Parts: sequence; structure tokens; C-alpha cells
Amino acid sequence: MIDLQLIEECKGGNFNNFRKLVELTSPFAFSVAFRMLGNEDQAKDVVQDTMVTIWQKLKKIKTAEVYKTWIYRIVVNKCYDQMRKRKRNPEFIADEHTWELIANKLSEGPSAALENGETAKIITILTERLSSKQKAVFVLSDLEGMSNDEISEITGISKSAVKANLYHARKNISEKAGKFL
Amino acid sequence: MKPESEKFFEVLKLLRKSKPLLASTEDIESGVIKRITKTNYNGLSSSQIIDFLFGWVYIGWVRRTLITASIVLVMVFIYQQSIILKRIDVLSRQPVVISKESTLSPADEIEKLLIVYKNSGRIFPSKTITISEREMKELLESVNELQIKYRDLKKLIEEDPELKKMIEKKLMENNRTKINL
Repeated sequence: MIDLQLIEECKGGNFNNFRKLVELTSPFAFSVAFRMLGNEDQAKDVVQDTMVTIWQKLKKIKTAEVYKTWIYRIVVNKCYDQMRKRKRNPEFIADEHTWELIANKLSEGPSAALENGETAKIITILTERLSSKQKAVFVLSDLEGMSNDEISEITGISKSAVKANLYHARKNISEKAGKFL
Repeated sequence: MKPESEKFFEVLKLLRKSKPLLASTEDIESGVIKRITKTNYNGLSSSQIIDFLFGWVYIGWVRRTLITASIVLVMVFIYQQSIILKRIDVLSRQPVVISKESTLSPADEIEKLLIVYKNSGRIFPSKTITISEREMKELLESVNELQIKYRDLKKLIEEDPELKKMIEKKLMENNRTKINL
């Protein structure tokens, strides 16, 4: 749990306290970045960039609640940048083996769990046709469990736009799931 | 055959359950600290100086305007100073001649001439002959000596009417000889 006291201590320029803040912040920042990008190394880069930005602008933080929203906003924006770069140099092309993997995992029942590499493949194949905004809204809403208000604040788009993007994202993924599984 | 939405929710459930795991935050921590220390070292001066000087202005556009205005003023000041220094440099190279009636003794005249000569870069007005300071001094001293002797001689002649007559006669003869010749 990140409290305001820790943030205040970091504002003084103490690296040890900041290490602690990085340790507490990195897991959920990584989760969002990884689910949006479907790539572990790129997600780690995004987390690192995010933490550097946090260090530079930490003085602006007044409450612990604002801090979490602010981190998500930075992560999402950095993921947009990564996606833009990746559009020019696509790395992973999903194939039919990924659908087999999903089908096998689903047949395992409630005990099935995915490793990072498998999650990356599945997310990539499911969201490859989505726009950056649709991807962000889908990850934040359906995978991270955030409300539309929170997503609107993080992404900077209106609530109605959040709903519209989420509808299109779900529709696209459902169609894919119906077609290949 | 399961409907699309059911397949979608099954996949979603699987993805939600498999939260991406960050194996270790140490790499991220050390990477972030390394980048922060580097950034602090490089960008310390400009941002801190701006914060120190304009940190009291909270309105963004006012702060930017103040920064721009101060930069312009500093540039104008530097430009003016450089022009002033350039002018002083040019003036210091020029000889200063105060035009007033000379009441100086012949010895003072020599000193004055020497000063003018020195300041003029040790070159005569024609800029064709260059002589040493010692030679110039010798020349001026001999001219001065000659002037004094001429004045004394003139005084002697004027005081003695017979001598004056004799000299006048001699001069007339000389002139005649010249004409005859």
C-alpha cells in the first residue's frame, strides 16, 4: 500500500525511500503495461520510464489517491508511445498455435493459469485489430477492473467515448473468440 | 457449441486470473536509480535555476512570458555591453588632440609631439616611413636646438644696428650674385 508519508519522504530526494516506492508501484504498473503491450521487455521499459517521470514530477503529488491515477495515466501514455513505435516495426505475428493454446487452457477448467509468455501471446492475438484507445479501455476495464469514471480520468477521454471504445473492443474480441475457439 | 459471448467471458476470466508477474523489481529499481542520478547530474542547473527564479509564479503562461522577457532583456544587455566595449576599444586606440592655442615651451612641444607620435602607432601621417622612438626624439631635439639658436641670433642682430646693416648688405650681395648667376 502506498501512503502519502512515503511520497512525502521521496520528495526530499531520498533514494532509499524511492526504491521502496518503485518496489510498491512497479507490479501494478507492469500489469497494465504488459497487458496493453503483450511484451514483457517493452512493459519493463515502460515501467522504468514511468518511474523516472514520477521522480521528476513527484513534487506535484498532493494525495495518495491522485498518485495511483497519475501512475496509470503515465503508463497508458507511455504504452501509446510504444505502440506507435511498434506500428513501424511489428515484432509478433499471431498464428493458429495461439488459438490452440487458448482452447487447451480453457479445456483445463478453473485451475488453468497462464504464464507471462502465454498471456502475452493471447492478449496480442485478441487485441491485434484494436486501436490504441480501445486496447487501453479494454485492459483497464475488463482486465484491471476499473470503473468508467476512473478510465475516463486516466485516458483523458469522455465517459461516453470510454463506453463506445469498450463496446467495440468487446465486440471485436467476442467475434474472434467465436470464430477461432 | 458455445455462443460468442460465453467464449469471450471464459477467455476474459482466464486472462483476469493470470495477472502478469514481475519476477523481480531489482532490475527496474537499479535501472531507474541509474537514470535518475544521470538526469540529476545533467539537468540540474536549468530546471533548478528556473524553479528558483520563477517558482513563485503559479500561472503557466505568466511564468513562460516572464522567462521569455528575462531572456530577451539579458540578451539585449549583453549586446549593449559588447557594443560599448567595442567602442571603448576603438576610442582607446585613437590619438586625442585637443585643439587649443599652444602656450607650451619648445621642450613641451617636443613631448607633445612625441605623445602624438607614440599614439599614432609610431607611423608618420604618410604611413610610408617608420622610424624608432629614439631617432624621432633626436630629430625633434635637434629641431628645437636649431630654433633656440635662430631666436638668439635674431635677437643679437636686432640689438646691434651695425651688425644688422652688415648682414643685410651681405644678403643683398648674395641675392645679386644669385641673380647674376
